[in-house]
Amino acid sequence: MGKIGLIIKREYTTRVKKKSFLLMTILGPILLVGFLVGAIWLGQQEEKDLEILVLDDTYVLSNTLLQSEKYHLTSSQDEGIENIDAGKTFLKESEQYDIFLYLPANIVSGNTSVGKLFYKDAPSSNVQRHLENIVDGSIERLRLKELKISNEDYARLKNKVQLHTIDVVSNEEKNVGMRAGVGFIFGLMIYLFIFMYGIQVMKGVIEEKSNRIVEVIVSSVKPFELMMGKIIGIMFVGLTQFIIWVMLSLALTTTLSLTIFPDLMNPENVAQTAQIEQVAVGVTVEPVNTDITETGKEFQDLIFNQIPWGLMIGLFIFYFIGGYLLYGSLLAAIGAAVDSETDTQQFMLPVTAPLIFAYIVAAMAIENPNSAAVEWCSQIPFTSPIVMLVRVSMGAEGLGWAIVLSMSLLIATFIGTTWVAGRVYRTGILMYGKKASYKEMFKWLRHK
Amino acid sequence: MTKETPIFEAKNIVKEYSGHRALDNVSIKVPKQSIFGLLGPNGAGKTSLIRIINQITAPDSGEILIDGKPLQREHVSQIGYLPEERGLYKKMKIGEQAVYLAQLKGMPKKQAKQELMLWFKKFEIDTWWNKTVDELSKGMAQKIQFITTVVHRPQLLILDEPFSGFDPINTNLVKSEILKLRDEGATILLSTHNMGSVEEICDNIALINNSKKILGGKVSEVKEQFSEEKYIIEFKGTGVAFANAVWGGWEMLNNKQLDEHHAIATIKLTGGTQLNDFLKGIINAVEIQSVNKVIPSMNEIFIRAVENESTTEEEVVNENTNQDG
Repeated sequence: MGKIGLIIKREYTTRVKKKSFLLMTILGPILLVGFLVGAIWLGQQEEKDLEILVLDDTYVLSNTLLQSEKYHLTSSQDEGIENIDAGKTFLKESEQYDIFLYLPANIVSGNTSVGKLFYKDAPSSNVQRHLENIVDGSIERLRLKELKISNEDYARLKNKVQLHTIDVVSNEEKNVGMRAGVGFIFGLMIYLFIFMYGIQVMKGVIEEKSNRIVEVIVSSVKPFELMMGKIIGIMFVGLTQFIIWVMLSLALTTTLSLTIFPDLMNPENVAQTAQIEQVAVGVTVEPVNTDITETGKEFQDLIFNQIPWGLMIGLFIFYFIGGYLLYGSLLAAIGAAVDSETDTQQFMLPVTAPLIFAYIVAAMAIENPNSAAVEWCSQIPFTSPIVMLVRVSMGAEGLGWAIVLSMSLLIATFIGTTWVAGRVYRTGILMYGKKASYKEMFKWLRHK
Repeated sequence: MTKETPIFEAKNIVKEYSGHRALDNVSIKVPKQSIFGLLGPNGAGKTSLIRIINQITAPDSGEILIDGKPLQREHVSQIGYLPEERGLYKKMKIGEQAVYLAQLKGMPKKQAKQELMLWFKKFEIDTWWNKTVDELSKGMAQKIQFITTVVHRPQLLILDEPFSGFDPINTNLVKSEILKLRDEGATILLSTHNMGSVEEICDNIALINNSKKILGGKVSEVKEQFSEEKYIIEFKGTGVAFANAVWGGWEMLNNKQLDEHHAIATIKLTGGTQLNDFLKGIINAVEIQSVNKVIPSMNEIFIRAVENESTTEEEVVNENTNQDG
């Protein structure tokens, strides 16, 4: 094993053996899957049944299917309550009722429909929305009758237009937005990894410089070998963590979806819950909920058929390594030029700014994947690692040359930045006490 | 024969850092199996020279020869370097990092472990193998740094201020190890401010000041060169009798009457007066008990040489500023 191999091995093993690495690597996917599952689970959790007292001056709700599994509506007349103040007092003293809903006389006839919902324990926005839906549906129906519009006519009126996007080359129907989203997630991961591990390179360099071991080491190996060994070693740490994350996440979601929540991941279930609510309204409007079922199917189609996974993962690894080498070498140079982490601020900005800019462009690309900005940024090496994947996720057809050009530019640039970084690093690591300026760093480039 | 070919030679080394000349035509020769003292005030250029020998930086011009061959990358494994600014990885186990550093010098892992264990035992630190540097005192860390410098049995050892930070006991331990390594065949280049240790262990020295070598050679020769015709004479009799015995050709630097009949005089002979002639003159006046030549200490030589330099330097600077003004 060459000396650079020894350095890579040390950088790799000391980091992988760290407790914080183990913790991050194992907890990362658990937290991620946990949040995801938790969010879905919480969203589907039935809240406790609600007893609702309704003071309904104009009998808006009288014809509605009042009861549902969760919401028990009781007319205030049954409790002998005739006005709003009595209702409020009653609710305060009652142990049975959770909510007092007041629908004033003008709620149907007025231009704006305002009702009041009194509570003891604040209801969730779901409850509020559900009750609004019920009242809204009832008012709608009353108004339809008043205007003599049939339900069928109303349904046609409310029908929403849908545009299906079809690629003219492959003649396939594709969901451009969602595919861009998947690309964005890849880009986001590259962004996070470049940041996380690039900073680790910088910290590692500062550590070696500040604890003064660096002079001993550069008497055995060339400074360039030390720098590259560190960058490559940390890159393997990143790849290791990424692979473990992907595998753990996959394993966790599979196990969870097969055992504890067999129905949870099934998109049709999600759709059903939505449908129940709509039934309560009693109006057969072309409902929004079919969108959800549709979305579920589309999502499956997207995941299994549309995303070119092989290409995406290949490109992900390439752009991760390329982007990391580019930024990692620059951050290594910064680490070498300063004495402590507090001095890094002024040099960090020019390095982090393009990275953050790339992230913004990638987010923009979801909306507008073919804009000039996206095309340019997928070529410029400082932004391409993050932006290009969003473009590719929309379909790689016709992008061949663009990908090749972008990759070549990235390779050429990271060779360039590595060379520059090596020169700055070589001089910087042995400079103590002097705060380096850009001018000085430029001079270091020309040292023999 | 081998004693005559220097193991290490620097020829006319010049090094500039953005306009500042750190080394100006410096040449040194280090004979095999000797201890060479590289002396000079802070900022004189010692570290620059040492870094060039370690191939951390390259000279602008000049040549470095090891065993008569130009310095190359492969020589790294034959050099052991203890920098003045030295450190260790704080969070890494001591044994592990010692093995790592030895491996970087080209030692196979297994051999490195074995040899290191021997050294750890010798320095009575074998129980620290699995500790981290965080848990050690500065002196303890120094021991480990010394071990990692010598474990690969380098032909040439470069020690920059090796004694700083050691207590007297450990200083002696390191000193005796340095001498032992020399006896076993190593050559040592030592940079230090500690003139006492120079006198004690160095065979040759070079004094660098303001980027230039201003003095060099065997320690005994340098001392001879700096010694003046000063003598300490102990005698029976009085200072007055001593002073009046010889007229001219000498001056009294110090005269101390120990008791009524005993005195010590420090004198300097001037105008080419021979010691024997002087003694002939006073031998009739007082009874001479001992005569000793005053030999300057390295400390004195260092200060005198550097001060001489800086006065001439200052004059030059003054002239320059006058011209500028």
